[in-house]
Amino acid sequence: MGTSFEIRLYAESSDLATQQLALAFAEIERVEAALSHYRPTSEISRINVAAPSGPVTTDPEVFSLLARGRALSVRSDGAFDLTLGQLVKKWGFLRGEGRMPSSVEILEARSQSGWQHLELRPSERSVRFLRAGLTLDLSSVGKGYALDRAASVLRSQGVVTALLGGGQSSYVAVGSPPGESGWLVTISSTSEDEGVVSQVRLHDAALSTSGALGKFFELDGRRYGHILDPRTGWPVETLAQVSVVASDGELSDTLATTFVVLGADSAPPLARELGVRVLFVDEAGGAPGLTKIDWPPEWAVERVRSPAVESPQ
Amino acid sequence: MNRREFLHGMSRGAAGLSALGMTGAWASPARAAVAPSDQIRLGVIGPGNRGKDMMRHFLRVPGVHVAALCDIYEPRFAEGRRVTGESTPVYTDYRRMLEGAHELDAVLIATPLDRHAEHVLGCLDAGLHVYGEKAMAFTVEECDAVVRAVRNSGRRYQVGHQYRYAPWYRQAVERIGRGEIGKVTHIYAYWHRNFNWRRPIPDPSLERLINWRLYHEYSGGLLAELGSHHLDLANWIFDEMPHSAQGSGGIDFYKDGREVLDNIQVLFDYPSGGTLFFSSITGNHRAGFQIQIYGTGGTVELTLQDGFFYYEPKRANSAVPSDSTDEGVVTTPSLSTSSDMPYRGPGLPIEVPAEESADPSFLSAKAFVDSLRQESRPFADEEVGWSSAVPMILGNQAIRSGNRVDFRDMAGVSSGS
Repeated sequence: MGTSFEIRLYAESSDLATQQLALAFAEIERVEAALSHYRPTSEISRINVAAPSGPVTTDPEVFSLLARGRALSVRSDGAFDLTLGQLVKKWGFLRGEGRMPSSVEILEARSQSGWQHLELRPSERSVRFLRAGLTLDLSSVGKGYALDRAASVLRSQGVVTALLGGGQSSYVAVGSPPGESGWLVTISSTSEDEGVVSQVRLHDAALSTSGALGKFFELDGRRYGHILDPRTGWPVETLAQVSVVASDGELSDTLATTFVVLGADSAPPLARELGVRVLFVDEAGGAPGLTKIDWPPEWAVERVRSPAVESPQ
Repeated sequence: MNRREFLHGMSRGAAGLSALGMTGAWASPARAAVAPSDQIRLGVIGPGNRGKDMMRHFLRVPGVHVAALCDIYEPRFAEGRRVTGESTPVYTDYRRMLEGAHELDAVLIATPLDRHAEHVLGCLDAGLHVYGEKAMAFTVEECDAVVRAVRNSGRRYQVGHQYRYAPWYRQAVERIGRGEIGKVTHIYAYWHRNFNWRRPIPDPSLERLINWRLYHEYSGGLLAELGSHHLDLANWIFDEMPHSAQGSGGIDFYKDGREVLDNIQVLFDYPSGGTLFFSSITGNHRAGFQIQIYGTGGTVELTLQDGFFYYEPKRANSAVPSDSTDEGVVTTPSLSTSSDMPYRGPGLPIEVPAEESADPSFLSAKAFVDSLRQESRPFADEEVGWSSAVPMILGNQAIRSGNRVDFRDMAGVSSGS
């Protein structure tokens, strides 16, 4: 995941908070050690190396993560995909800020991607790649899942009030601060001029924000963002930023990426099916245009100049 | 004196070799090896943090099924079942679990150190193979008893020195053995953290159960829980065990009622001239986990995830330059000083082929399962476990007494506590 995490919590003493934080961060480290494709010793790296040759047994936690990811691929008609490792690499977003690959490179990477080629056998908890070169990349789920697990550790320690954040793009809230209806999370527009677009009160829920402009490169006056459309192999066309509020960080993380790919027009059915709240911030026209799906009116802020648009029913 | 000879000699002094049945001949397994396709039914005693982590690694090995969980702290059951993903049978008494030993093949033991021997002996007695977390046992006598029981049982015992299976460790040890960094004389090993090593407790009555690492009654402190890995590596590189130890330490960071020291510095001397220096402090994290292996021709640095080779500068070995008299020299703007500033440049990374790379704990679990299926001895066997546990126990004695403890004089050594 290679990101920074922060945790705020209420505890009876500073010493107790230190101990609880240590447990929570150890859990995040454990999840990262298993899921990071940057680490050659991770479980995901082991699967990436061995699964093209045959079934690789993994533990229930990793297997169920992959199974849920694959299920979302099916539900989203391929807008979400955990097997984009080669495409991400070819587009230069693995460690860098991106580059324009050749058409041959894109073609080759597309042939080495695709959730359809990810075979999961529950009876053996095994993972097998049906296409050589397939590469798992769990960066669209790892952060949120790590926060979920750390929140679970805190809850098991009796913590009832905490906010866990990963890279300022994913938050998981445990309870609410005293006297508040939820943890205050401010969603800003990527456009510096426009500032705050929503203020969320997060209570026992998770929020993830995703946007192509989180990392991008420019070529011939056009911006190419780091979120790839699995269906085309190219960066998503839209420059919209998407925030998702869901029951847990895994769901909010994966859906934020999925909705960036799907766009505001195609997102509502899936969002409503999964019972999540979504805010699209589209700045293509200058001032941010907001598209909301079950986004509570009390989370609105007055500074936004353009009228909010409700999503089509 | 190599490790095996030392093991024999030490056991003679401590408890009597013949009494241990250490004749050098391994007993034949009473139970046939498990067929490669067969399921390995694993019981777990102590599914705490380390136990759960090892369970996950075992569950990544094809054919392993966690069939029983045992802990005296019942909240561990739900946590353990979350790892197994099913309603695994649970026990609060390991003896009850072992009554159903016929439904198990092996047991993972990840309990507090003072319980290790009891649990290992109980499992071996029930005819089960054992993966026992390090350190092997709490006292020298218990370590002897475990070795004796393993050898008499014919069952497999593997100690949780998982770095024995780390590819970068194995490659480093092999290359060091071939003389790549010359003669290795010193190993400086660190495990530094900036944390009080204390776990939160839901109720004060659970302090000793959860924070057992902080109390002499159950724990060998930093040297046991952290340093025994480094001791094992030094044993591996020097191919022998240390014969004396001296050390110091204190409770200097966290005066919170704990009994074990929150910082230690220990020197182990090896019979052939090697020295291991181990330091563990809990108030500064900069050094982290690292091992510097110093040879006359270079240095190897090992960490939890990788390793690097560094080579000493070449020095003049002839009064008459042999290759520049005829061909002249080429002038360049390079500058090389011989000052004593530390080297801050890059090292040569130990390259591990992708197909060999994995978490050492997974590789360790897989190797244990392989040893059951192939009827082979684990690499980190009872001898390896004994050879790091006993110096750890005596090293702790050296720290506490403030004296140099000579392992060759075993008279009077009766306990590591």
